[in-house]
Amino acid sequence: MTDVTMIVNGQVRGASVPPETTLLQLLRDSFNLTGAKLGCDVGDCGTCTVIVDGQAVNSCLMLAGQADGRQVLTIEGLASRDRLHPIQTAFENSGALQCGFCGPGVLLSAKALLDENLHPSTQEIRDALSGNLCRCTGYTKMIEAVQDAARLLREESRSQLTHARTEATAP
Amino acid sequence: MNEHSRVLERDELEIAELRSPDVDLRLPAVVPREPFPIEPLTVDARQQTRAVGQRATRPDGRLHGLGQTKYIDDLSFPGMLYARIKRAGIASARIKHIDTSAAETMPGVMAVLIGKEIPTNSFGPTFQDQPVLADPIVRHAGDGVAAVAAVTEQIANEALAKIVVEYEPLPAVLDPVAAMREDSPQVHAPNSNIYATKVVRKGNIEKGFAESDRIFEARFSTQMIEHVSLEPHAAIADWDANGRLTIWATIGRITLARSDIARTLKLPMSRIRIIGTIVGGNFGGKNEISQEPTLALLSKKTGRPVKGVFTRGEEFIATTTRHPIIMDYKTGVSNKGRILARQIRLVLDGGAYCSWSATTLGKACILSPGPYKIDNVLAEAFVVYTNKTMTGAMRGFGAPQVCFAYESQMDDIAKALGIDPLEIRLLNAFDEGSSSPTGQVLHSVVIKESLRKAADRFGWEPRS
Amino acid sequence: MRNLHILEVKLGRTHNPRDIREKDRMKAFGYVSAKDLEHAIALLGEHGARAKILAGGTDLLVELKHATHDPEVIVDVSRLRELKTIAVADDGLHIGALATHSDIMNSPVIRDMFPALVAAAHSIGAMQTRNLGTLGGNLVTCVPSMDSGPALIALDASVTVASAEGWRRMPLAELFVGPRKTSLKPGDLLVDIIIPKENLGKPAAFEKFGLRKGQALALVNVGASFWVGDNSVFVAPRIALGAVAPTVIRAPKAEAFLDGCKISAEAMAEAGRIAALEAKPISDFRASADYRRDLVAVLVKRALANAQARATTKEKELVA
Repeated sequence: MTDVTMIVNGQVRGASVPPETTLLQLLRDSFNLTGAKLGCDVGDCGTCTVIVDGQAVNSCLMLAGQADGRQVLTIEGLASRDRLHPIQTAFENSGALQCGFCGPGVLLSAKALLDENLHPSTQEIRDALSGNLCRCTGYTKMIEAVQDAARLLREESRSQLTHARTEATAP
Repeated sequence: MNEHSRVLERDELEIAELRSPDVDLRLPAVVPREPFPIEPLTVDARQQTRAVGQRATRPDGRLHGLGQTKYIDDLSFPGMLYARIKRAGIASARIKHIDTSAAETMPGVMAVLIGKEIPTNSFGPTFQDQPVLADPIVRHAGDGVAAVAAVTEQIANEALAKIVVEYEPLPAVLDPVAAMREDSPQVHAPNSNIYATKVVRKGNIEKGFAESDRIFEARFSTQMIEHVSLEPHAAIADWDANGRLTIWATIGRITLARSDIARTLKLPMSRIRIIGTIVGGNFGGKNEISQEPTLALLSKKTGRPVKGVFTRGEEFIATTTRHPIIMDYKTGVSNKGRILARQIRLVLDGGAYCSWSATTLGKACILSPGPYKIDNVLAEAFVVYTNKTMTGAMRGFGAPQVCFAYESQMDDIAKALGIDPLEIRLLNAFDEGSSSPTGQVLHSVVIKESLRKAADRFGWEPRS
Repeated sequence: MRNLHILEVKLGRTHNPRDIREKDRMKAFGYVSAKDLEHAIALLGEHGARAKILAGGTDLLVELKHATHDPEVIVDVSRLRELKTIAVADDGLHIGALATHSDIMNSPVIRDMFPALVAAAHSIGAMQTRNLGTLGGNLVTCVPSMDSGPALIALDASVTVASAEGWRRMPLAELFVGPRKTSLKPGDLLVDIIIPKENLGKPAAFEKFGLRKGQALALVNVGASFWVGDNSVFVAPRIALGAVAPTVIRAPKAEAFLDGCKISAEAMAEAGRIAALEAKPISDFRASADYRRDLVAVLVKRALANAQARATTKEKELVA
């Protein structure tokens, strides 16, 4: 058995699992985080996408042991108690998901992109999402949603900056 | 405030509601109901209702974005077991012997099932020609021959490898045209491989060809396509102490599923409850039962809930696909490009089992002449068994394949006659009141307007 | 009908019930995580042929799920940070075997000196697989269509291999033996890839053609490099072809034609035609051999043109 401890969505989580357990199985079966999905199990479809140490990866292609000591972000970690993440808001408003199965993976790939680049071009969005297959939507609304999310995040960071300045100058 | 303005307010309020997601935690108010009209309303097809063109927020968008939507594989129950099905791996065979003893004694394996144990081992939406688990004839490589339920999926997988099946290989037929011959191996002996036919006749085909200036003949064929819904086929079966079966399934047609399960398990429908969950993509591929009777029987044997999720590999070999169709088109036209006669032969590759093939056949046949005014039509369509993956329903149901054929031939004809491809279609397309190949008088026909509008929008330059 | 025949033959061979293995879920194995390079080498020496090396896992885990291998032990080297560095040393540019394709795409020194390697890395899989997959893994998996091979071969790369018996260096071409077969022995660990000092800054290009623009295997891929000599001639031209032979191969006749030849579009096209004849592609369900030969001619021409464009840009940068 392999003992693993990691920080998942900001919480320390641990488990003792057989070594051949993938990170995907660990998240779904041991931690009850069923947002990441099993679509193909070989890293082609992207429904298992999670963010490990800031990088989007196929969790079906990582052994649980390889995530030991790392930071993992799943779809369940995007929203806080009080609000949706702007990416979730944008996807909801755009109607960019239909059956929703590819959704968690797509949103996390989008997050990985927007964490690096708040002014993505259409081509850069396509590139970032090319590892996530969707059979329902045709991707067009997803690209719109990512652009929308980028705008929301830019606005947020601008207003945070203003807020910080205001606080700094308050007596 | 008069009657008129009150009605307006209510309409506008509905649209505003459509646009905003339900941020209120209370249940949404029930929309006030219109009294049932005494006179049937005939909606003029061209009149836009207020809802059309408006963007409405999908209510499930919130759950999807949060990752909260529960698909079958996200559900689990205490004591739940995992089932896997052993696939034949051979296109045509008789099962001589199945030895499950090594699998049954594996630690962690709670039950094993073979075809002989199924009360009524046949199902299907049209003909009940498909076994739940093959016994004794295997008709395609994805046919299930045995199933196990174990405490983990890994153990179930390993147990499958321990099941020993002895096959007597039988001749296989893989080409649908070859399968139509009398001397071809019979997939469902003693029946002919041609299991459904349809003929559409209109006018006088010989006269039409005699009057044509040019005749074009070509064969078009399409390939087998798999839906690849992101969510694989999945189901969970569980019994209660009153002998009632509950099945959570990805199936789109749950009433049909219930009657098929009642039939295969010899159980009254009143004892079967099917919960159709949110499906991760269907596209026609999840419109009939597949592993559900198997899971139900494994659950009965073990007294525990049993979940089965197909692997991506099984999605390709053991679920329905789109029919490959071999389409022979013979079209007679005037020198101006007017279609005077069209003779079509369609051979649908019907796979190992019927599934929705009869419906697909009907659609393909009726739609095969295309949306064009043709006075003389003869369309003969056959669906043929082969020892390949089942072909069934998939978005379009036969329409996409024939569309590829008749539109390709339209372009060929246009090119040969030196006519603009758009013009030749405008010349032949249906008008309001045209009659279809089967004699139906068509209304709300907007094909020419659509073609012109589309051509305008993407800047089609007429060429000859 | 010929395609149907191929299909029937394939079905007859692979659908023998004895050949279908229960796949898609991994069997149990032992697992050890190497703490550092020394530990890794010791572990590999100890377990020998019973072990498989886990780097990025993008290929190994798929193989394990498809039951192509049933190793007893997995030696996880993915945490060896010392094998991830990308730096210029006295003898050339060293790329650690565990540098991921994303690392290569983002490395300032590679972006500056070898956009061809960036292009090759970018063409692999998708973002998620590039974040996991390593250069060493791609080379050692050794499929004929590997995307990391052609540009490195065109840059005369060599590799360093470590084992309990010691370290050795060899030209990259000697690593490749056949499809999924390298010259590595049990206990060997690929440590780094070196582009020799004399090739630093050499104009190079990589071209790939797949059935999709992303997540696609190459039907054909090509790496090319040359220096622009005095009077605008090809100096030290190299052309490497992938997916058209059991391993990545050079195109020596095309190279010989270009050597000393005046740089022109015609010369590039001719080199493409010669290289196409040196390719030994097969027909499979993705493409026919003829189509692949056509692709070789086009991609070689494009790669040479892109390399020249880079040479010109560099000149401008140096002059400016």
